[in-house]
Amino acid sequence: MSLNPYIKPKFETTTTVMVDVIIALLPLSILSYIAYGMQAIQLQLLAIGVALVTELISAVLVTKNYRSILDGSAVVTALLMCFTISPITPWYIVAFGAASAILFGKIVWGGLGKNRFNPALVGREFMATFFPVIMTSAGIWATTSYIQTPATHLFPGLTSDYLNSYLSGLVYKTSGAMGEYSIVAIAIGGLYLLIRNRISWHIPFALLAVFFACFWFVPDGDDLKFSLAGVLLGTIFMATDMPSSPTNTNGKLYYGGMIGLVTFLLLLGKVSYEYMSFSILILNGFSRFISLVFKPKVWGQPLDWQSRIEQIFLLTLAILGVTLAVISLDYYHMIPYLVYVYIVYIIFKFNFSFLKNISNPI
Amino acid sequence: MLMHIPSLKSKTKKTSITTLEASPFLYMPLQAYKTPLKPLVNVGDLVLKNEKIAKSNGVFAGSLHSPVSGKIIAIETESEFPHIKIENDFLDTCIEINSTSVEHLTEEEILETIKNFGIEGSGGAKFPTHTKYNTQQKNISHFIINGAECEPYLSADYAVMQQETEALLKAIQLVQKVIKAEKITFGIEKQHKELQSHLLKNAKKLNISIQIKLLPNTYPQGGELQLIKAVTGKELPKGSIPAEHGITVSNVGTLWAIYEAFYNEQPYIERIITISGEKAINRGNFKVAIGTPVSHILEEIGLPWNTENQTVILGGPMMGKAIYQPETPINKGSGGVLILPNPTNKRYNCIQCGYCTDVCPQHLMPMEFARYNTEKNIQKLYEFNLNDCIECGACAYICPSDVPLMKSIVEGKNLLHNA
Ligand code: SF4
Ligand code: SF4
Repeated sequence: MSLNPYIKPKFETTTTVMVDVIIALLPLSILSYIAYGMQAIQLQLLAIGVALVTELISAVLVTKNYRSILDGSAVVTALLMCFTISPITPWYIVAFGAASAILFGKIVWGGLGKNRFNPALVGREFMATFFPVIMTSAGIWATTSYIQTPATHLFPGLTSDYLNSYLSGLVYKTSGAMGEYSIVAIAIGGLYLLIRNRISWHIPFALLAVFFACFWFVPDGDDLKFSLAGVLLGTIFMATDMPSSPTNTNGKLYYGGMIGLVTFLLLLGKVSYEYMSFSILILNGFSRFISLVFKPKVWGQPLDWQSRIEQIFLLTLAILGVTLAVISLDYYHMIPYLVYVYIVYIIFKFNFSFLKNISNPI
Repeated sequence: MLMHIPSLKSKTKKTSITTLEASPFLYMPLQAYKTPLKPLVNVGDLVLKNEKIAKSNGVFAGSLHSPVSGKIIAIETESEFPHIKIENDFLDTCIEINSTSVEHLTEEEILETIKNFGIEGSGGAKFPTHTKYNTQQKNISHFIINGAECEPYLSADYAVMQQETEALLKAIQLVQKVIKAEKITFGIEKQHKELQSHLLKNAKKLNISIQIKLLPNTYPQGGELQLIKAVTGKELPKGSIPAEHGITVSNVGTLWAIYEAFYNEQPYIERIITISGEKAINRGNFKVAIGTPVSHILEEIGLPWNTENQTVILGGPMMGKAIYQPETPINKGSGGVLILPNPTNKRYNCIQCGYCTDVCPQHLMPMEFARYNTEKNIQKLYEFNLNDCIECGACAYICPSDVPLMKSIVEGKNLLHNA
């Protein structure tokens, strides 16, 4: 027996969604090659390889879902993870990160789509937790001697040197993580995903709007140092990750806005490097609640405004509370303990609940 | 985001309505709104064309007439699709129906004829038309003609609007005598806007004042609630009675049946359907008798009956039903027969993309139905408003992971129903 509908859109499957994301990420890969040559590409290929092997092993041992190996999501996760780290990160750390991204970011939740947190960022936190000395040293960002193509002035026509280097910096620069070398390329990737309806505008728009509005309201905001490319990369590719973000448009607006706010608060709280990852991961944790709180108004039915406003208020309080907790934990260098707690929790959940559901599609 | 689906109508849209050869056997469907119809004939009886062979009483009374003359050879009330089987003698001997001229009919007589001639909604809900028009002093401000055939492939309504325009308008005139709506609005999709001037021109000839509302080509625009919203701006909850809000909606197909009833003295014994689909050879719009088995239709267009390498669908591709029994008949609500390739299943886990929520015309969260149906969590299914789902199939169509959304919805509704 087959049920309606009997037609499906052509070329619209989970795999095509992932392929589109990969297409949008490719320019960033190419730019990392221009900047750091084969070294950057090797790390990315290594991460992809490790991610795929981890998928394969997990499919054999746990999920029995072989189709999921090549659905493309492992490639997306591996690439995104690489784009948040330095091109001179040791290869074994990258391999470890890719494996834990897939395993602890996705498989233990029961496979693609069931994960509450962005796997790429989970991989990143695992690297930082288990290789703290290397990953948090300033040395890992001292990449000058590895540069293949230095940044130059790209607009010979411009007379103002300042303007020229500013604009050139938007197109191409060599500092920062592997995915941060070109704001223009990130934006183009984002536009492509928007046009293909792989991301909706709600999350990026709300995120950036709130984030920049904060600088307006806080007098000494201008002193805060952050990487624009990093924020944009997170906004377009990570905050919009489907499984870990809300499913309805109002929820997406709120979610995006809150990531913007939390990112700013983390910056104020002196969380360096990790502000974007932390803010996305914090909101990832609330994403399902947000979807539920912002449940669309059913056709023809009234909406209980009072209880909705109350729920939004409580939700916001909870998010701000967690943000403050993260700031304090970061101050006392205790974030690794969060990761340990996560590992214990998730293994527990996996054993007692997720494993039973592994063959359900949701 | 509203959903656009390819219309796939171009192959049949402009074909003229042709009559399909009668079938040697007819399987007259006994299902009706609420209660099934009771046979008025016995096995072995001879029946004439247009003779009433089954009926039910009450507010939702319905009746069924024989589209051919012949012999009753079986009455199956317990089968999967209860039916009366008639062997066609191909003589087409008609029963005498004496009628008064249309102009002199009173309101009651019109309603009585609609009831007696077994006219019901041609859109599939089987709602008896006389009940709908019997508005009992309620003030109807808006008579909406549903010309939004939003199901892909189907073009039967289009063909009626284009080729049977006068019949359609005369039927509207007649119905107006009963419901006396202040405004008459045709809802048609933008993709068919060439109909606009055609309809207006003909309405002018007959001196009927109608309005045309061009609707976006989104799915499901032809859903009654969606249509009412688009035309009047009123958002009625599922299950409400449009007449209480001063609105009556009728399908093009229903109005055509009304025309046949009053101007040709013919009960609802045939309808216009579209035969189409990738695997169909002879596509087009056809006039077929109610009760014609799907296998006969396939035979007529030169296709063998089989369910292995093709899927035969009664109705449209979005809301229709796959047919596995060759005798399954055309009923008063079937808009078409489609022969499509077998669906392929690319099932993945739900990736929480939210596309299903985006396209749901009722603004529900379909993925939650899949989640809580597997858990058999009746409370949650109810809280996520499963009862408001109109089973339009939009969510399952768009889902990139092929999550079994429709299965969850159907099973979930059963759970709710039995709870
Ligand atoms: S079938 Fe139901 S849940 Fe799915 S889109 Fe239609 S109304 Fe919404
Ligand atoms: S469309 Fe399918 S994959 Fe996307 S949220 Fe809905 S059920 Fe999940």
